[in-house]
Amino acid sequence: MAGPLKIDGVAKGFGGVTVLRGVDLTIEPGEFFTLLGPSGCGKTTLLRIIAGFLSADSGTVTLGGERLDTKPAHQRDIGMVFQDYAVFPHLTVADNIAFGLKTRGVPKDEIAARVAEGLKMVRLDGLGGRYPAEMSGGQQQRVGIARAMVIRPKLLLLDEPLSNLDAKLRVELRDDIRALQKKLGVAAIYVTHDQEEALAISDRICVMHGGVAEQTGTPVEIYRNPQRRFPAGFVGTMNFIPCPATGGALALGGQSLRLTRGGDGPIEVAIRPEHVGVLAGGMAAPAGAAVIAGTVVRYTYLGTHALCVLATGHGEMTAQIKDPGAVQLSEGAPASAVLPCDRLMAFAATGERLDLAQ
Amino acid sequence: MSGPRSLFDPWKIVQIGAWLILVALLIWPLSAILSASVIDNDTGALSLGNYREVVETRAFRRAFVNTLIAGFGGMTGALIIGVTLAWITARHVIAGSRTIQLLAILALVSPPFIGAYAWIVLFGANGVVRNGLAGIGVDIPPIYGVWGVILVFAMKFFPHVYLMTSTALQSVNPSLEEAAENLGMPPGQRFFKVTLPLITPAIAASALLTFVLSIADFGTPRLIGRDFNVLATEAFTLFGGELGGNPGMASALSMVLITISLVLVMAQRWAIRRDVFGGNMIRRPEMKRLGGWRSAWMHGLAYAIVLFGTIPAITAVLFSFRKTHGPVFQPGFGLESYQKVFAQVSAPIINTLVFSAICVTLIVAVGTLIGYLLARRPSTGTALLDGALMVPYIVPGIVLGIAYITRFNTPPVAMTGTAAIIILVIFIRRLPYAARSVASALRQVSPRVEEAAISLGCPPMTAFFKTTVPLIAPGILSGALMSLVTAMNELSSSLVLYVGGTATMPVRIYLAVIDGDYGTASALATILLVLTALAVLIAFRLAEAGKTGPSGAVKLAT
Repeated sequence: MAGPLKIDGVAKGFGGVTVLRGVDLTIEPGEFFTLLGPSGCGKTTLLRIIAGFLSADSGTVTLGGERLDTKPAHQRDIGMVFQDYAVFPHLTVADNIAFGLKTRGVPKDEIAARVAEGLKMVRLDGLGGRYPAEMSGGQQQRVGIARAMVIRPKLLLLDEPLSNLDAKLRVELRDDIRALQKKLGVAAIYVTHDQEEALAISDRICVMHGGVAEQTGTPVEIYRNPQRRFPAGFVGTMNFIPCPATGGALALGGQSLRLTRGGDGPIEVAIRPEHVGVLAGGMAAPAGAAVIAGTVVRYTYLGTHALCVLATGHGEMTAQIKDPGAVQLSEGAPASAVLPCDRLMAFAATGERLDLAQ
Repeated sequence: MSGPRSLFDPWKIVQIGAWLILVALLIWPLSAILSASVIDNDTGALSLGNYREVVETRAFRRAFVNTLIAGFGGMTGALIIGVTLAWITARHVIAGSRTIQLLAILALVSPPFIGAYAWIVLFGANGVVRNGLAGIGVDIPPIYGVWGVILVFAMKFFPHVYLMTSTALQSVNPSLEEAAENLGMPPGQRFFKVTLPLITPAIAASALLTFVLSIADFGTPRLIGRDFNVLATEAFTLFGGELGGNPGMASALSMVLITISLVLVMAQRWAIRRDVFGGNMIRRPEMKRLGGWRSAWMHGLAYAIVLFGTIPAITAVLFSFRKTHGPVFQPGFGLESYQKVFAQVSAPIINTLVFSAICVTLIVAVGTLIGYLLARRPSTGTALLDGALMVPYIVPGIVLGIAYITRFNTPPVAMTGTAAIIILVIFIRRLPYAARSVASALRQVSPRVEEAAISLGCPPMTAFFKTTVPLIAPGILSGALMSLVTAMNELSSSLVLYVGGTATMPVRIYLAVIDGDYGTASALATILLVLTALAVLIAFRLAEAGKTGPSGAVKLAT
């Protein structure tokens, strides 16, 4: 079993534009690891450096203590799944899956056995004789996955493999990918810009932005406890409220809060919509919560929940109302946002997370 | 600590090889005419005397102006005819549009010279058509002179414009046109305000091509222009003068000719400098179904254009079956011309087939590798390579022929009079077309396909041959056949370089026309035409096969 994949200080620029600014990551054996970020954040560049299609300007990549970045791409023993499938259109499905085995000189009968196994793995039994053009996008990507898996790679790289598929198929195939990866026990690095997909599929996520690894952690850590402003805003929805601090103290909606470190300057207080309550006329405010008065500008009913956007003196604020009943807030009606203090987070202007206390 | 930053890439060797070929077969020979043009023929001293003479001699000044007239005239005519035909066939349901396309290609590949000759037979002083029209009281002037030259160029080169423009028209995103209409623009205006700007790059490219072809052609001005002299004819006369010739002056005129082309290339680049219209194709434009009069006149116009364009070919075929006695035509039909061709002039046929076969093999091998570099290894080096590959586009065949003779006449590399020199000059002239067509075929294939093969353990070169080559094979093959066609029909450079034993069919046709032996010329031209048409048909079949079937699922991913 291969040891961990270590990425040390990997930097890369293209003609003066820096794409990666020294990234350090460790991916454990058997782990499903996701690189998440908006387009241009450097996630695909990093993946292609690991695959060997690009060489880093500086830094190293090692797998189980062995240098990977000095080997040419075809000797790295890494399986790769591509966004545009990249199945060979001139070969049958079976020949596609057998491709890597043939180049490795695997004996014929073993190839046949492993191709059959691969087809079964991705639920394409009996379709080995088809050509890719005769298959749907989802089926083609299954071929791509089987092709990368049957070589029993030391590492599996997936470059936005689901982004060309429709929503329903995306969910179905992502569960299959995760199940297969766990079954084979191979470490996988998955690139996506879809935060929901990242949360659903990963053991750990690295949120990237501007060529920097902003935060690495489990989906729960990333969502519930973002350490920097960027992941806080990029993963899920977040309300940011500008709020000046003086001498480590700040006041919001009738509550005074303290920063445990850091002092003055413009900071932002943040809270998830599902933690924001809405107070309509006549209701009493709960204790330990900041209350900000405003008016309803938009109310969107979505069945399981409703989104209510309030215009307040601190800007717009979105509240997610669980199990919205018959009570419908009409646009223009006065309402207050209720922000429980223990749910508030604070970020410095540098993007750093600050600790809040009451 | 850090690892090696660039892993070994076999494509670097290909790039070095490509540069060696370009330097040896293009830059080095061309440097010969540059130096010859600035050296005094008599004293051997460095001098600008040749250029001074170009400026001071009235005949040369006239040739310069005439060259521009021929270039812009031919270009304008070809653009009008070509764009019209493209617009009719690419956007409307026209019965037999495949036939129209085939006829246009036939017009494109009709053997040179026989074209000019056929126009004379039909519209010359004693032309068949002209006499016929005179009989019913319609007097048209004979075709000779500047208007004749422009007309012949327009009819000869419009298929280039037609083919390039209709491809562009077919790939304009119809949503853009619908958006314009939706915003309230009537269809007539829409064509000029939206569609035309979108296909400007294709039109500009074909304009440049037809201009360069027009100024490089010297057979047409020679036979039809009468006293309409151009730089190409002057250079050929000066160089090929039986009494020693004047290499210095010929070289100076060649340099002027190259400069004109170069200026046009710059102008074209400037004109399309904002070409950012990426084709994000979701669906093809719709073909408009026509009815009544509109249908009738569109059909009429389309067929008139292509039939008029193929008149030279048709005339050659008809005349090849006329009864002859010696070089003189007799009433009635007969096979004497063919008997004569096979008895006396079979060597050029063999030469043509052998030379072009060797040429095409070289072109395919080298062109595929270079095309790959251009498409898949974009860098400053390959951009330069792409620029250098533009050179054969702008250097007229006759100029390159003169350059080869000047450079390869004496050691270190003496090969004038050999078959090799003819093969090499055609090779370098046609290489850019092959490289570029491979490059554009490659841009249709996702580079991820090859990366997938590499990640599965294939070394880079093996990955290329196992995945990319099979995918672009139909494209390479049909490109090869088109190269074969142009190689078989190459005249201008061969005419400078041939000796008795290495004459090719086009050269022999030219000589027969000059000798007034029209029967032989027609028969040879017909044979060449049949061979050409065969190659074109097979190329078409391959291109079609490439669009369907399992091996053709190339469009799959972008």
